[in-house]
Amino acid sequence: MIVYKTFLKVLNKCKFPIILYSAILLFFAGINMSSNDNTMDFTAEKPNIAVINNDKEEGITKSFLEYLHENTNIKDIKNDEQEIKDALFYREIQYIVYIPEGFSDSFLDGKNPQLEIKSTGEYQSELADMIVERYIKVAKRYRGSTDSDEELFEKIDETLSKKADVEIISKMDTKTITRLTRYFNFSAYSFIAISIYVISTILFIFKSEKINRRTIVGSIDYKKVNAKLLIANSGFCFIIWAIYFICARILIGEVAFSTYGIYFAINSLIFVICTVTLGFFVSHFVKSRNTITALINIIGLGSSFLCGVFVPMEYLPEGVLKIAHVLPAYWFVKNNELIGSTEVFSGDVIKSLVINAAVIIGFTIVFFVGSNIVTKKKMKAE
Amino acid sequence: MENIIEVKNLTKLYKKKKAIDDLSFDVYKGEILGFLGPNGSGKSTTINCILSLLNFNKGNIKIFGREMSPNAYDIKRKIGVVFQDVAVFEELTVYDNIDFFCGLYVSNNNKRKKYIEDAINLVGLQEFKKYYPKQLSGGLLRRLNIACGIAHKPEIIFLDEPTVAVDPQSRNNILEGIKKLRSDGATIIYTTHYMEEVEMICDRVIVLDKGKIIAKGTTDELKYLAKIKEKITVEAKEISNQNLNQIKQLPEVQNISYENGILKISYENEKNNLENIIDFLKNNQIKYRKIYSERPTLNDVFLELTGKELRD
Repeated sequence: MIVYKTFLKVLNKCKFPIILYSAILLFFAGINMSSNDNTMDFTAEKPNIAVINNDKEEGITKSFLEYLHENTNIKDIKNDEQEIKDALFYREIQYIVYIPEGFSDSFLDGKNPQLEIKSTGEYQSELADMIVERYIKVAKRYRGSTDSDEELFEKIDETLSKKADVEIISKMDTKTITRLTRYFNFSAYSFIAISIYVISTILFIFKSEKINRRTIVGSIDYKKVNAKLLIANSGFCFIIWAIYFICARILIGEVAFSTYGIYFAINSLIFVICTVTLGFFVSHFVKSRNTITALINIIGLGSSFLCGVFVPMEYLPEGVLKIAHVLPAYWFVKNNELIGSTEVFSGDVIKSLVINAAVIIGFTIVFFVGSNIVTKKKMKAE
Repeated sequence: MENIIEVKNLTKLYKKKKAIDDLSFDVYKGEILGFLGPNGSGKSTTINCILSLLNFNKGNIKIFGREMSPNAYDIKRKIGVVFQDVAVFEELTVYDNIDFFCGLYVSNNNKRKKYIEDAINLVGLQEFKKYYPKQLSGGLLRRLNIACGIAHKPEIIFLDEPTVAVDPQSRNNILEGIKKLRSDGATIIYTTHYMEEVEMICDRVIVLDKGKIIAKGTTDELKYLAKIKEKITVEAKEISNQNLNQIKQLPEVQNISYENGILKISYENEKNNLENIIDFLKNNQIKYRKIYSERPTLNDVFLELTGKELRD
């Protein structure tokens, strides 16, 4: 117990950097959670159009104009070529329809009078085109099916007034899951920084030559003391992991305990095991307390910038991402992104997740073996 | 007397150089054994070998009649070590430091609490329990170092130069503490290059030089090895060469030196020397300010055995 008790007392003297690294996580996660949220909300859009009617406002032309009023935002634009060009250029309107003189009579006579169209060619103009096309197609279908014009307009109106209710079948709350993804991405830096800081600091203190010698002459098996330090360090990092997970629940909500949350938790747990072994490996190269800060900056910040922890992967150059392949944080973030963008955890998705996790475990084994090799070399040298 | 440590033919090589050369000695229960020798004479290496901190090339070490090894935890439980370098946690208070090192031997909390208090009282750190090492002076830090090594009430205590660079008050406190530990039943192995300390507290002394034992015995026995039996110092401003020659011819005088008004006379015998020199000075009307007699020191013994002083 004395080893654990002293571990906690020493750790207590080093608490401020740990709080700082956690605060960085919460701060950055907080900032990112409030920006650029993707949502799956659906609202039908009305394109901005203009209509230049050269026909009389009666018959099919009247019906067509009413339909356009209902389904588009008709802007009041003068029938002036320059003004129309300006309106299109400045995106005041995306689409303009010219109704030619005698359009109604000609259409009802069974002819196909042409509407003149101008558009910006953008998404909204395509939508406007679809709306116009729809009217013409329906009107053509009912033309000749009745002798009465009134009956024809009623049929057209009835058909066009039927609206499809759009229901988003997906139950995925992308907004919240994006937040959760970002939170766990940011946690990579804190996990790396805290693991290296805690393990290196504790081992630097306990394994300093003078203290070490005094411990060796003690009546507790030295290997047991080392094992207790290993358990204490690892245990502390897992406690930090658990706290971060609880913070995710508090900050982001129930989703942290959903299937997504569980996948994120498993992924981050695998990553924490990796950072713990990284911490032990790195601790062998610590010559002074200042070296620890330098190592955190090089490894923690370096990994974070290269692997898409601070800047999303899609904004990073391909060359950078290729380099990042040799860092465990890359595979951690990659898995987070995959979890965050998956709606159904199918076999293929799980296979990809397992492969990425296996790469992280591979790094863990490398750090563990590397740490043992360095320890044995040191012991031989002594 | 009961043998508590037996060292036989201990030899330790650093590359090809012998740091310890065929050392054999015993440590008796309840004694303070002094290891005296200049820096680099092999004192710390010997202790590190006894404690299994260093491998040795030849020899045999038994403690409590059993072979000492790195895994002999039941033997280690009865040993306390105070290293030459202060080895404490900067992050822990005085109390917590002693608690940790005592905790490596004593797991019972209540027992440990009492032991810690005893150790604090022994070294006189009662007022500094909540201080951090950074806040302590060099002397207090040395006292803490000792408390950490002896708090678990060991039967054998190794003290490796515990008074290096400490103030006189702390030195006295430390030496008194060591005597107290002995009176409480501990056996102490004390290494130093301060001969006065050895003379003050040690029952027996082993003198080391270049990894070899050059003398061992009680301080009186060692002093007997010296050819000089008495040294008389006279502070007199003017002594003529003729008088100096006459002094040289006095009975039992082995050697004299006269520098800066101080006359030093070495005698091969300790009988009536002071009386004879006072008579001589009086008869020759030589005025003197001070005259005093000294017995030979261990430094004289060391000088005679090795041709150099302990602090060379």
